[in-house]
Amino acid sequence: MNSSGKSAVVVVLITALGGFTGAWIAWNSEEPTSHYISIKARQYAFEPSVIRVNRGDTLHIKLISLDVVHGFFLEGYDLDAEIFAHQKSFNIRHPSKGKEWSEVNEFTLITNRRGKFRYRCSHTCGSMHPFMQGELIVQPNTPFHASVGGTLGLFVGMLWTFAKRRKTRLFDNGEMSAPPDQSRRAGNRQAAPH
Amino acid sequence: MSEFVTETPEIEPKTVIRKRPRPKKEPTPVKGFRLDLFDWIPGLKKFVRLRSFQFLVILPNLFVFHILFIAGIFGTPVGNKNIMIVFIWILWWFILIAVMVPFASRIWCAICPMPFFGDWLQRRALIKVRSGKTKGIKNKMFGRNLRWPKRLSNIWLQNITFLTMCTFSAHLVTRPIVTVGVLGSMVLLATFLALIYRMRTFCNYICPVSGFLSLYAMTATVELRSKDTDVCLKCKTKGCRTGSEDGWACPWFVYMGKLDRNNYCSLCMECVKSCPNDNIALNLRPFASDTQIRGYDEAWKGFIMLALAMAYSIILLGPSGTIKDWANVAETHAWGGFAIYTLILWSVALVIVPGIFYGCILLTRRLAKATHIPMKEVFLGYSYLLVPLGLLAWIAFSVPLLFVNGSYIISVVSDPLGWGWDIFGTADFPWTPLWPEYLVFPQIALLLIGLFYALNHSYQIGERLFGSSEAALKGSIPMGVFSIGITLAFLRFFTG
Repeated sequence: MNSSGKSAVVVVLITALGGFTGAWIAWNSEEPTSHYISIKARQYAFEPSVIRVNRGDTLHIKLISLDVVHGFFLEGYDLDAEIFAHQKSFNIRHPSKGKEWSEVNEFTLITNRRGKFRYRCSHTCGSMHPFMQGELIVQPNTPFHASVGGTLGLFVGMLWTFAKRRKTRLFDNGEMSAPPDQSRRAGNRQAAPH
Repeated sequence: MSEFVTETPEIEPKTVIRKRPRPKKEPTPVKGFRLDLFDWIPGLKKFVRLRSFQFLVILPNLFVFHILFIAGIFGTPVGNKNIMIVFIWILWWFILIAVMVPFASRIWCAICPMPFFGDWLQRRALIKVRSGKTKGIKNKMFGRNLRWPKRLSNIWLQNITFLTMCTFSAHLVTRPIVTVGVLGSMVLLATFLALIYRMRTFCNYICPVSGFLSLYAMTATVELRSKDTDVCLKCKTKGCRTGSEDGWACPWFVYMGKLDRNNYCSLCMECVKSCPNDNIALNLRPFASDTQIRGYDEAWKGFIMLALAMAYSIILLGPSGTIKDWANVAETHAWGGFAIYTLILWSVALVIVPGIFYGCILLTRRLAKATHIPMKEVFLGYSYLLVPLGLLAWIAFSVPLLFVNGSYIISVVSDPLGWGWDIFGTADFPWTPLWPEYLVFPQIALLLIGLFYALNHSYQIGERLFGSSEAALKGSIPMGVFSIGITLAFLRFFTG
């Protein structure tokens, strides 16, 4: 492998190490708890717009629409709901299991996946409908912390490459004596009998 | 002393301040591999040399454009049920930013239907070339063919038009009639300007899309260049710029002998036809090969694009209803909020991000001990970092647009106007987001790729500017911190 190939491998490794470190630092193991959340939908927002919980928590969720018919599609949890204006009950289904709706007043969800999951309106509700969404953030948010660690790792890795390149340039320009192993090799070559 | 006596009164000696002569712009030397696609793809050169080439590639687009306009005017006002909104702001946008720009440069400009009518009026021909003479051009052109004012010969107007358009983006991307109004105005203006000013003045200096295409095309993996610049220098006719009986003069006034960036080449391929020496190559090249920003207008385009990507990530992909209400002023009438939103958007794009960048440049100059190098040179040199950072952030932003809302494409092709038709039997196709929970991973990867290119170029730019690897290393620290800050901000929007 040539020098730039080796540098690339080292940069990738340092980035990955940064990613693992970021995920590890953010790791927590808090006891699961229960949350009772009432989510209100209106054109073009959910209230609360951000829900932060820990992995393993149990969420008891009620959905209410304040104006028109809205949907509630929760990414990563195979859940879709249809919320009618000013009604206590709403329809719910698991999209992967069929199109049939069940009418409920509340549903329960155990947050078994880490990360950020958006809940989106799945029922056309007006002009800004495609952008109506909220966020369920399940801590530890491993993808986020790993990516932050990876970003810092990439910076460190790149600085290391630049420092290495700088050393090579200085050596090429004769501004720096050869590294010990190279001097030795050069010396050996000179000393070799002809 | 002179012995000659003249009657001319003595002139008071004045201090004459001479401007430093501008160094002659020589093309930047080519770096990295190049592969001429004309040699590698059989028939490609023959195809682009067809006189009907540009007409053939614009024609289908023009047809689709008309359908979209009809749908925009007569179809349902509900954006996600109207083919105009779904095709333009989901499909076209994603293909443009994630496929065309990085892999095919400004190919969109070659097939864009907007300047079609203006070109037609100027040339009075759809396919054939008219020989003749028009103000230094060896083609017969119609209209007044005036020169665009020199003071406006930059992309500042494009920057302002784009920022203005994007201030109303919540309306533009959700309401068909607004899209019709904006695109229709662009067609009218392009046609009107073609009658007064020479060539593609609208594309060159006003089109809001052209501005960011010019910036991000610098990263593209293809380029149209001369094979040998010496041949161009010796060429007496300069057919690429002035036209010939085989091809129209370059609509962008580009002379191929000095073309060393993708910014202002629309890949219309006229030069391939008009070059008398068969000296034009369509090269495949490494990503992000053009690395020189040549004016504050281009640098500010980079800031504006970065700020807009952030703004859209908050407004369109974020959870805050209040900010959406501010941006969606036509419906909410929250004028106070809209004023705050506009003020923040314009300040961030034009002052705050450039200000932070300027601070990093000051630090870079100090760390690199390069205070003797003009500030402008360092500022513009490093402003190239905004290009890979911005483009990859825009692609990351666009990923969920397609994967979450792409299923609307399937339903609108059957019912393009939202009138209850079912042409292909897919009108009732439900909204089906594709792997939405996994989209953060390609988004993270894209942002890291952008950061990698920005960091790598920060060192190379430092070496080029300061001529020392030591200074380049030191200089890359503040610029790296800036790039990391931008990346972390986007990571926060997308995953945090």
